[in-house]
Amino acid sequence: MNEEREVLNYDALVVGGGIAGGEAALNLANTGYKVLLVEKDRSLGGKMILLSKVFPTLDCSACITTPKVSEIARHKNITIFTESEVTAIVKKSENNFTAQITKKPRYVRVEDCTACQLCEKACPVSVRDEYQFGLIGRKAAFIPFSIANPKAAAIDIENCTLCGACEKVCPTHCIDFTMETKYYELHAKTVVLATGFNLFDPLLIPRYGYGQYKNVITSMQMEREIAPTRPFNTILRPGDGKVPDRIAYVLCTGSRDATVGNPICSQICCMYSIKQAQLLMGALPMADVTIYYINIRSFGKGFEEFYQQAKGMGVNFVKGKIGKIAEKENGDLILRYEDINEGVVREAEHDMVVLSVGVKSNPTVGKIFGRGELKLDPFNFVAQEDLLGSPSKTSIDGVFVAGTASAPMDIPDSILSAGSASSEAISYLIQHQEL
Amino acid sequence: MEVEVGKTAKYLREKQGVPEHVKEELKEFNRIKRAITDILQNEELTIAQLSERLQIPKHDVTYYLMSLVKYGVVATGEIDDMDEYYSYKLVK
Repeated sequence: MNEEREVLNYDALVVGGGIAGGEAALNLANTGYKVLLVEKDRSLGGKMILLSKVFPTLDCSACITTPKVSEIARHKNITIFTESEVTAIVKKSENNFTAQITKKPRYVRVEDCTACQLCEKACPVSVRDEYQFGLIGRKAAFIPFSIANPKAAAIDIENCTLCGACEKVCPTHCIDFTMETKYYELHAKTVVLATGFNLFDPLLIPRYGYGQYKNVITSMQMEREIAPTRPFNTILRPGDGKVPDRIAYVLCTGSRDATVGNPICSQICCMYSIKQAQLLMGALPMADVTIYYINIRSFGKGFEEFYQQAKGMGVNFVKGKIGKIAEKENGDLILRYEDINEGVVREAEHDMVVLSVGVKSNPTVGKIFGRGELKLDPFNFVAQEDLLGSPSKTSIDGVFVAGTASAPMDIPDSILSAGSASSEAISYLIQHQEL
Repeated sequence: MEVEVGKTAKYLREKQGVPEHVKEELKEFNRIKRAITDILQNEELTIAQLSERLQIPKHDVTYYLMSLVKYGVVATGEIDDMDEYYSYKLVK
């Protein structure tokens, strides 16, 4: 492609603006290095900013994420590119990386947008809201979510009818459909990869009925239902708007399952399911919550106590492997499962089933570097060259990995990992600084 | 090319057009929105009742109705005696 590229120079490139990338960028910036933080989405904050609460403390996730994201956005040493993608990185020599970056147009001048939402009200289009995991609609001119950063409107150009209604009502005239994709060539001295993870797609297990049975939802959909910025007024079944009474969790959906290509444990599903169960019992005091599990892995600090707390609250734990989910005419769901303790097959009826989907690697990270330079592990996470001695080092000297780009992990471990990656990057920058 | 401020949508529309599926989806949303708002003019209804009267699957009614609640067109009413289903009413 012969597009014109603007040349940029920074000390560090951080790929991914989730909690790990943000933390790494902050550490680098606080040490005085100039950082370019590249995020593919319209907002910083990754998956964490969309969570309700965090385990095992039940702290509000947004209350932790938003100040951090705000600090990142305001930092004088950090430049943020949202809706942008790093398409290629080449290591020219030590301390000398060249990256190709593509920045999609937002069709809104962020610096002029006051987030008044008049464009959103004027927009006639309604499409499924990806930030509410399809449970509800959003407009084509929209603010991604209430705590998004940047808090500015964006135009979903693929679903926009180009009617111009948003432009007409915008008091600051910040909507601009003449914006085009921009291309950059970045020169940086070090790179931190914080590309995060993908959630397992439950459509790959048809016997669970996801997509077919509307009251089978994913854990991220439930996460949104129990968040303060939830899609509905309370917790409802998407199939018919009923307030559910009997809610089941199916752990290890797409984890520890070689048949779907993911034999490893996702590390977080047991605990986030237990967290959601506790929150559900608070929101719906009369509800029965049952967690179907193979093993509960409560290995972290405070995790076992958190598990015991859920039991004490009345969450029902069944050691059982789900064979099949079927739907009744009224939308209720029949779970057919192997009772592992008794060695028999049983059936149980629930109003709603939550699939505790696992963690998969983000395949985009491997494609950024040419000729297999960046080594991946057997599950396509970034390989850690010295797991015990220097866990953030990758196969390329000067490129470091942070957070779930290297393996499934929880939020505290992601932040620790980002601290490690930024420390290694700073050490690399100091070692190779031009004298 | 210089494009007048406030008329840039027209510029892009003339340049690249609007895909048919986008126009169709807008029509479909408007059709269902009109059907829901018409039927809620005189009474509060649950999702099941709306589904039956409009002959639209319950899950589609849930999605469109909840979107209309978000857009401020419809409001949530009372819950039934069994604490199972809410009714919904038009915002007037």
